[in-house]
Amino acid sequence: MPTIKKLVEISKQYRQELFEKFLQVGQGHPGSVFSITEILVCLFYEKFIRFDKKKLKFHDKIIISKGHATVALYPILKNFGVLSIKEWDNWGKKGLKSQLRVFGNTSIPGIDATTGSLGHGLGVGCGLALSYKKDKIDKNVYVIISEGELYEGSTWEALLFAKHYNLDNLKIIVDQNLLIILGKTDECLKLSPIKNKFKGFGFDVIECDGHNIQHLKKAFSKKTKNLKIILANTIKGKGFSIMENIPKWHYWNPLNNQEIEKCRAEIK
Amino acid sequence: MTLQRDIFINEVYEALKVNKKIYFLSADFGAEALDRLRKNFPKNFIHCGISEQAMFDVATGLALEKKKVFVYAMAPFISLRAIEQIKCGPSMMDLPMTILSVGIGLGYADAGPTHYATEDFACLRSIIGTKIFTPSDNLTVKFLAKDIIKNNKDLNYIRLDRHPVQDNISNLSNGGFQEGFRIIGNFDENKVVIISHGRILNQCLEVLKNNNNKCFVVDLFRSKPISKKLITTLKNNKKIIIVDEQCLAGNLSSSVFEAFSNLKIFPKIKSLYLPEEHVFENGGRDYLLKKYKLDSHNIELGLSSNF
Repeated sequence: MPTIKKLVEISKQYRQELFEKFLQVGQGHPGSVFSITEILVCLFYEKFIRFDKKKLKFHDKIIISKGHATVALYPILKNFGVLSIKEWDNWGKKGLKSQLRVFGNTSIPGIDATTGSLGHGLGVGCGLALSYKKDKIDKNVYVIISEGELYEGSTWEALLFAKHYNLDNLKIIVDQNLLIILGKTDECLKLSPIKNKFKGFGFDVIECDGHNIQHLKKAFSKKTKNLKIILANTIKGKGFSIMENIPKWHYWNPLNNQEIEKCRAEIK
Repeated sequence: MTLQRDIFINEVYEALKVNKKIYFLSADFGAEALDRLRKNFPKNFIHCGISEQAMFDVATGLALEKKKVFVYAMAPFISLRAIEQIKCGPSMMDLPMTILSVGIGLGYADAGPTHYATEDFACLRSIIGTKIFTPSDNLTVKFLAKDIIKNNKDLNYIRLDRHPVQDNISNLSNGGFQEGFRIIGNFDENKVVIISHGRILNQCLEVLKNNNNKCFVVDLFRSKPISKKLITTLKNNKKIIIVDEQCLAGNLSSSVFEAFSNLKIFPKIKSLYLPEEHVFENGGRDYLLKKYKLDSHNIELGLSSNF
């Protein structure tokens, strides 16, 4: 297992790769992508998501229900050899073909479900988890939902379903960065107290720092009496002072040379 | 009389005896046959609560793992409440799934317009990859269920009636079933063609009884995709009446017109359909069909009217 220090380095490396890719592609959702970087690094490198080296396939499933952040998976898939380097390199270069898109879909190797419209991923995860339970297959399904997806009724429908069918192989992670496109969630339409709402649905809630790999590791490992939801407190656009907690950085914005260099320096 | 839904579910029941990869999902919608299925195959019946949206997402997850999934609810809700889940799930991920939609058209007359499905055909027709079936009798339901259970590779939208329909309105061979239509009456290029599907086709058959020399009827039980063979068969018929228990926008007449025009054939089409209004008036389904000129009398008038 890599050390926590090493995982912090890997997270930094992914931020660098993704930042350069955003510059090339000129679009996307950096705020949401950078808020889940450590969550993904912890899941993949601490082997919560198990990898079959021979088949070059992940044993467990992951759904980025907040589909606009699926891009965060691409460099990880590339580094595990699931996604070709060529696909990654070509993406965003004029005249070159690539399967990669701003939103993930099942035509891309390693992407388990097509997402993009909010509120679907948790239900799809329920279906996968139910299937594995019925077939007695040891597979976990990790679903990362955004706090903004809690506005979608289908998310709550899926939570009822997961609880009723006791889908303990379904691992729900809420990326709680407190922002949606037009501002703070509690100012746009109050969501809090989220924790109490989950508890009311019969889940145990573990709140943690979503950028602290040690905290995340502990949260993912912790056994709970009831089904578990991890409420990961994150910062939208984490790692880049120009983006952090700024709603407009939900989307990519043009940067001048000085700003580009500043961003690069901050993630060195 | 056995209901279409029970016939379909009974076929699923039989298949479950040997295939445990079948899952039947319901949004709290029942049937006599479903009671037996739930009792004897509890592991394969998934109650999703009154949550059509989550039901389709769950169904998508199951289908991703190669399960044969049947999704079942009342027509107005299964079609419109969860249409985006159908688009982003089975349609976009190209997954086989069968949607059983019960109570099409004014089937829930007396309940009122919240329960009418008078636009479900147009909505589901617009979803990429759907195959749409509206069986007019029980025999077709049986063929359909057996075929889907055996082949299961499409995103099927099955429109079933809430009320009893005839067991067998006309012979149906396997070849005819695969074509998706059957001709009732004697084909003649000089006759008026009446095209319909579902329970309302019976109104057209009433017309046929007294007008065999003037028209014949096409039971278009698969309306997406429409068989090219049908269009080429009818290429010389000049007048077509299309009867659909739906509002006009995107209904069966749109489908048929598009199928003809794609082959650069342009017959005169008269479309009989429900009005563009929410129907609050009561009186039962047949009363409403008569009021909106979708009864045999008014279809018959269409035979001699100007096109």
